[in-house]
Amino acid sequence: MKVGLVSPYDFATAGGVNDHVRHLAVQLQKLGHESRIFAPSSRADVDFDSARFYRIGTPIAIPVNDSVARITLSFHLANRVAAIIAEERFDVLHFHEPLMPALPMTMLRMSPTANVGTFHAFARSNVGYYYGRPLLQPYLAHLHRAIAVSEPARDFVTRYFPEFPMRVIPNGIDVDTYRPGLAPIRHLRDENLNILFVGRLEKRKGLGDLLRAYRAMNSRVPNVRLIIVGDGPLRGRVESYVARHRLPNVIVAGYVPDSVKPRYFNSADIFCAPATGAESFGIVLLEALASGLPVVATEVPGYMSVLEPGRDSITVPPKNWRELAASLVILARDEELRRRLADYALQKARRYSWDKVATEVLEVYHEARKYMAARPARELEVTGVHHAV
Amino acid sequence: MGEWTWRAFKVVQSLVERMPRPWAYALAVMAARFAWWFSPLARPRLEYNLKVACPELEHDRIALRRISWLNFRNHAKAYADLMQLPMARVEAMRPRLKVQGWEYLEEARALGKGILLVSCHMGSYEEVAAIWSANLAPVSFFAEELEPRTLFEWYRDTRARLGISVLTLDHGGIRKVLQALREQEMVITAIDRDIAGTGYLMPFFGKLAPIPLGPAAIALRLGTPLFPVCCYRLPDDTYMAEGAPLVYARPTGNARADQVRATEQLLRRIEQFIQRHPEQWHVPHRIWAGSP
Repeated sequence: MKVGLVSPYDFATAGGVNDHVRHLAVQLQKLGHESRIFAPSSRADVDFDSARFYRIGTPIAIPVNDSVARITLSFHLANRVAAIIAEERFDVLHFHEPLMPALPMTMLRMSPTANVGTFHAFARSNVGYYYGRPLLQPYLAHLHRAIAVSEPARDFVTRYFPEFPMRVIPNGIDVDTYRPGLAPIRHLRDENLNILFVGRLEKRKGLGDLLRAYRAMNSRVPNVRLIIVGDGPLRGRVESYVARHRLPNVIVAGYVPDSVKPRYFNSADIFCAPATGAESFGIVLLEALASGLPVVATEVPGYMSVLEPGRDSITVPPKNWRELAASLVILARDEELRRRLADYALQKARRYSWDKVATEVLEVYHEARKYMAARPARELEVTGVHHAV
Repeated sequence: MGEWTWRAFKVVQSLVERMPRPWAYALAVMAARFAWWFSPLARPRLEYNLKVACPELEHDRIALRRISWLNFRNHAKAYADLMQLPMARVEAMRPRLKVQGWEYLEEARALGKGILLVSCHMGSYEEVAAIWSANLAPVSFFAEELEPRTLFEWYRDTRARLGISVLTLDHGGIRKVLQALREQEMVITAIDRDIAGTGYLMPFFGKLAPIPLGPAAIALRLGTPLFPVCCYRLPDDTYMAEGAPLVYARPTGNARADQVRATEQLLRRIEQFIQRHPEQWHVPHRIWAGSP
């Protein structure tokens, strides 16, 4: 089967959706299928070894959902996209965030093949979905099958499009890459207990709460270190907070390449995910669980669809740094508890391995193709592209 | 370096890391020119060391000046590389590295006892280490702790995000070096300067100098091969990592003699590297008695 994976987000920037797309492409190749990736990219030198990468459009940063979405809004993608679709003759086109402008929507409208959409996002509300419903509904009609990465992600979409059937297939984790026993960053393995944060440095990830919690726990737990992996618009504020309060043993590592990130997980003792909301899933949680780390996380719907409090994690209400600090102190002081949570985390992560997830996604592809075969779409001519868009 | 010097360094570094590479180099060359003219001690010491390493420079003042200037220039560019590391990506570094003597590296890896890369103060090892750490095996630097502590922590954290561990020259550091080698990782260290002050006097370019025996002692203990390697800058600002045949430390029952023998073999290879690229060997410190 030849599958085209479409991401709306800047492929040069790290993010959950693009990670998902990369891993799915690799896994499809392993299972004997061909995969191609379509995404905008802010850098021309971005490539992907495991599947052909089509760079379509240049992204711009748009604030959305307490984060920044780097998407392309170009109206001049159509001819190129149509030519590629005509040349590649995909069996399935798989759109990630299919209602995100402009690349997925353009391709979805033009696709002559079986279309599958995966919805990753979660938010309390969405003005675009609310007011744009009449415009977006025809695009949804082009999808033959749809997937949500979690129950909250599904609920978020069905709140605005109630009749839209979706199957929940979680994000996957590469259990060969994220596992215990990898070489740690050796100088981080010392007498200090390492608390790890991984994520974009933006408001919704809740790093501010973690810094306050760390400041509060510092006097109660000696020999503790906070390692912050990730970059983002709040980096300057994070660094100045650390300097202003003279927080000891805080490492702001910045962007860490994917090849090194698993080693940071192997250098840590506790993983902390203090997001304030708007998380549909939390791939970093899977990375932590697969690395055998106990997790302290906030009770946001996306995280709660992955975690089992008391078995693999301790959870606290979001935006509550005092409880976050208390939980970190409990876990930091109790080695036995850390070990117990970590043991369960390892078992659990195997349920999310990419081979299992990709097999489920393939089932959806087959269903979409069957549905498509029953109701074939009209072939699109390249010359008629502008009328189609 | 005091607190205010560190802050000044951080301000300059924050600017340099955002610059395109050619701009960063242009700034570095300007700084090198300033340092070369006005450094009270670094240049005389460097030129003394260069004259010992390349005796022909003793009577050729013009060549000596040219080489010492190029030396400052290359070192400043290496500093610019270092300052750009926080935003550097391994994928962007890969095309900039060429390797000679890859077969020795493969030979050492095949033994499965880790690799102890022994080098000298030359070039941008971060680039080599970051690429090898991503492709071959985790890399650790076994190096001195810098002053002030904040600067050292910056060095360490910046290297860590590229997968490079920084282990200090103390008991804790040695323990971690042994652990890393047992787990078949790579450790890079330099032996052209006795930083810990525990070196053994032996001929280096024909003159007695204190040289650390630590790498040879570790190799004897673990059976790890010693891989002499140097990294230097090419005229197009790419890098060459050049390896020489492996040195094996063989135990004969006299540990000190074995260490000295292996270290002497390493030194001969290091001397060849330095004599071929004196404009890249930046050690403006006292190595031999009689240095300014």
